Amino acid sequence: MSRLTPVLFGAQLLIMGANAMAAQESGYDENALRVESRQGNLQILRGIEGTVVARAGIFHPPRLANLVIQSDSALAEAKIFERDYEPGQWIAALGIATLGAAIGASRITDINPVIQVSLYATSFGALGYGGNRLHSAYGALSKAIWWYNRDLKR
Amino acid sequence: MKSGLIRALIVGASCTVTLVSTTAAQRIDSTRYDGQALRYESYWGSARIIRGADGPLVGTAGWFRSFDVEKLVASSAPARAEARVYKSNSFRASVVGTIGATAAVVGVALSANNSNNASTPILIIGGLGAVAWGAQHLHIAFSALSRSLWWYNRDLARPQLAPLPTPVPVPARETEQGKRNKDSE
Repeated sequence: MSRLTPVLFGAQLLIMGANAMAAQESGYDENALRVESRQGNLQILRGIEGTVVARAGIFHPPRLANLVIQSDSALAEAKIFERDYEPGQWIAALGIATLGAAIGASRITDINPVIQVSLYATSFGALGYGGNRLHSAYGALSKAIWWYNRDLKR
Repeated sequence: MKSGLIRALIVGASCTVTLVSTTAAQRIDSTRYDGQALRYESYWGSARIIRGADGPLVGTAGWFRSFDVEKLVASSAPARAEARVYKSNSFRASVVGTIGATAAVVGVALSANNSNNASTPILIIGGLGAVAWGAQHLHIAFSALSRSLWWYNRDLARPQLAPLPTPVPVPARETEQGKRNKDSE
């Protein structure tokens, strides 16, 4: 019996180690985040089941920082995402609206050409700037989720 | 007395070895994730697949690109299944979206040239409809790509972390979320 004691103790420790690793993996299965898009709406889903934990509204970003607060790197990226997403959408929408106005104005025969050129310039400028902000936001979103999921595995 | 000391030493050694091996396995896992885990960023209808937080660009998929996501994530069966969903939807979105955009532009050009006839509204409305359909499929494709990379990153650490394999619901073709997306079309 006394000889068996260290063997049993060692086996117990090995089982504990395996359980710790399995728990780490199940942490990823249950908690790792991903981004999906449904009907054009951005959604953040959690785990294998794909529970929706945040979704973007019209001109409102999903509250990403609250989700990834456990990871410092993820939180930093989440703040960039929340900073750039909303202005990016507004400015891009303004660009689309101005482009519509420019196309409409081009059909008016006696309109001052300066107005037409200004409308086109404004629309392309707004589309380019808004697109750039959105690109920055989506890049930060991707990085935030990557960091969060990475830190789940630690 | 002597045997008790030896026993205590054996127990202590086994404890140390277990803790060190667990820590080492976690470190290997973390390093593996850092070096190999994938993510994507959408870029004007395409998906740039990047390794690591600031790592190298692995490839750009979508919008008539031939980059093979399925091959990239081949080590994970569920990731492969989602990559196939991505590929089919991305192709449809590219074809239909491009045809729709072309039709809409032609319609607008005809209308702007004051050559209005019955075909111009059909071209514009039909073209915009096709663009919307293509955009919807692009969203489905990106969602499938996201799931594919999620599964790939999950399965990265499995060789180290799974001494006793646990049963995992491996989708035959796609996850429930993917099916729901398809049903909503």
